[in-house]
Amino acid sequence: MSTVTTTVPSVRASHQPVPDARLRFTGVLRSEWIKLTTLRSTLWAYAILVLVQVGMGVIFVLASDGFASAPGAANQAAVLPSTLGIMLGQLVISVLGVLVISGEYGTGQIRSSLTAVPKRLPVLWAKALVFGVTSFVVGLVAVFAAYAVTWPMLDARGVTSDISDPALWGSLVGGAGYLALIGLLAYFLGAVLRNTAGGIAAALGLLLVVPTVLSFIQADWITVIGQWLPGVVGQSLFLGSEIFEPWQAVLVMLGWIAVVAIPAAILLKRRDA
Amino acid sequence: MIEATSLTKRYGAKTAVDSIDFAVRPGQVTGFLGPNGAGKSTTMRMIVGLDRPSAGRVLVNGKPYAEHAAPLREVGALLEAKAVHTGRSARNHLRSIAATHGIPRRRVDEVIDLTGLHSVAGKRVGGFSLGMGQRLGLAAALLGDPATLILDEPVNGLDPEGVLWVRGFVRQFAAQGRTVLLSSHLMSEMALTADHIIVLGKGRVIANATVAEIVGSTQTFVRVRSPRIDEVARRLTQPDVTVTSVDADVIEVRGLPADVIGDAALSVGVALHELTTVQGSLEDAYMNLTRDEVEYRTTVTPDAALAEGIAR
Repeated sequence: MSTVTTTVPSVRASHQPVPDARLRFTGVLRSEWIKLTTLRSTLWAYAILVLVQVGMGVIFVLASDGFASAPGAANQAAVLPSTLGIMLGQLVISVLGVLVISGEYGTGQIRSSLTAVPKRLPVLWAKALVFGVTSFVVGLVAVFAAYAVTWPMLDARGVTSDISDPALWGSLVGGAGYLALIGLLAYFLGAVLRNTAGGIAAALGLLLVVPTVLSFIQADWITVIGQWLPGVVGQSLFLGSEIFEPWQAVLVMLGWIAVVAIPAAILLKRRDA
Repeated sequence: MIEATSLTKRYGAKTAVDSIDFAVRPGQVTGFLGPNGAGKSTTMRMIVGLDRPSAGRVLVNGKPYAEHAAPLREVGALLEAKAVHTGRSARNHLRSIAATHGIPRRRVDEVIDLTGLHSVAGKRVGGFSLGMGQRLGLAAALLGDPATLILDEPVNGLDPEGVLWVRGFVRQFAAQGRTVLLSSHLMSEMALTADHIIVLGKGRVIANATVAEIVGSTQTFVRVRSPRIDEVARRLTQPDVTVTSVDADVIEVRGLPADVIGDAALSVGVALHELTTVQGSLEDAYMNLTRDEVEYRTTVTPDAALAEGIAR
């Protein structure tokens, strides 16, 4: 506390301390990586994500019986226990997505961030890229860990899946992709609202409340809207769907993200920090 | 060099900064003075682009702050203590800022040592005192070895040694030909640190001059104490001389030097117990300048309230 330098030290060392320092996007990416990985909340959220994914897969296998054991159906059957945890994991990743940006506003950190990067938008995009890629990688770890843990349990019941089947590993990769995309949607909601409570309410509302409310309304066009909601569309990435091919589902998800990211960018440029 | 031209900031109907022009020159310490709500912080925030001006502009070394290739090398700003995520350690906070500009790790360690944060650099910022937060803010401002320093209330919350350190530091910084703009509520601190002062009131520049000029604008007066003060006062009465009674045996005289007053007392045969020339302080000058500009005035002084309480 009282580490006070009593003599005034030299302001500038004899050498140039930062000879070729300048602002670059790669530097902003590095900065965002440091910020993401030096907070306990990040590490906790990712740890919970993996645990939930594995845990729910195990519980599901233990609780159910009568898996199809036909050769093609086995691969199909292995998808559900590996990706079931996403139902809970999507909530964890959404909360984290909101927090990585709303935490900066809540603490005042944003003013340090924007003073270092006064053009502002590089911060928004770099944070999205770092958070999106990290979440995808952690999502992959979580889903494949769930597959690895549940495989011997299913194998013991004669349900022997083969990971080299593109339909199988495609679904697992799709599940990780869904987690990353839904996390990004929550992140941009947080960037628009700049508030943790509001951002989490909006993200979870879009995932949980809106589909339920829409299901109460008996009208064909409402049903169609319900099929286009991000949480519903995204399921076709790992569970398959009769409406969307996986690549179409990715496009719809990206559309949702763009709808929130564009106002987030405009507001970040315009508003006082 | 910082140049503001017709710089204006409005929040709805309220004008926080009202079309101000000023220049902050290198090689000296420029102080920003003004009561709460005068627009000091808003102006500083506009310099580094945190607030958008409603009109006018402000340039740093000829360009808007955001247009520089290496903003942190142009300006180091400490605008509020703890503009930091509370869950991150001081060192990691500095590393994250340094990374944006590719500033090496060695420089991060340098500013940690420079600001005396070494023993707490690994601790999370949430537990920092205000003074520690100020030191961390200063460390962040120095990361880019900037040409200009902007410090909003830098000694707020610092211990006396820290205050002394900041004072010496900014003086030395300016002596190297760099630019320093700092604000403070502590007039005495400003008198010791600044060379040039810009006084803001209600969003306008109400004075922009050297410390010597501003102090010189206040009148000096002579305090005279005597058991027969009335006789002295009567002897001194003449045009252009103001005599103010401040106590039963004390008067303040404006318009005459001490030697003339002493001679006058002798001529009426009165002994003086005190004869002191009082130089106006920066604080007096500041109070005079901002008398009409204070937005949040304390209407009842503590003394008056106390006296009233005793009278009951």
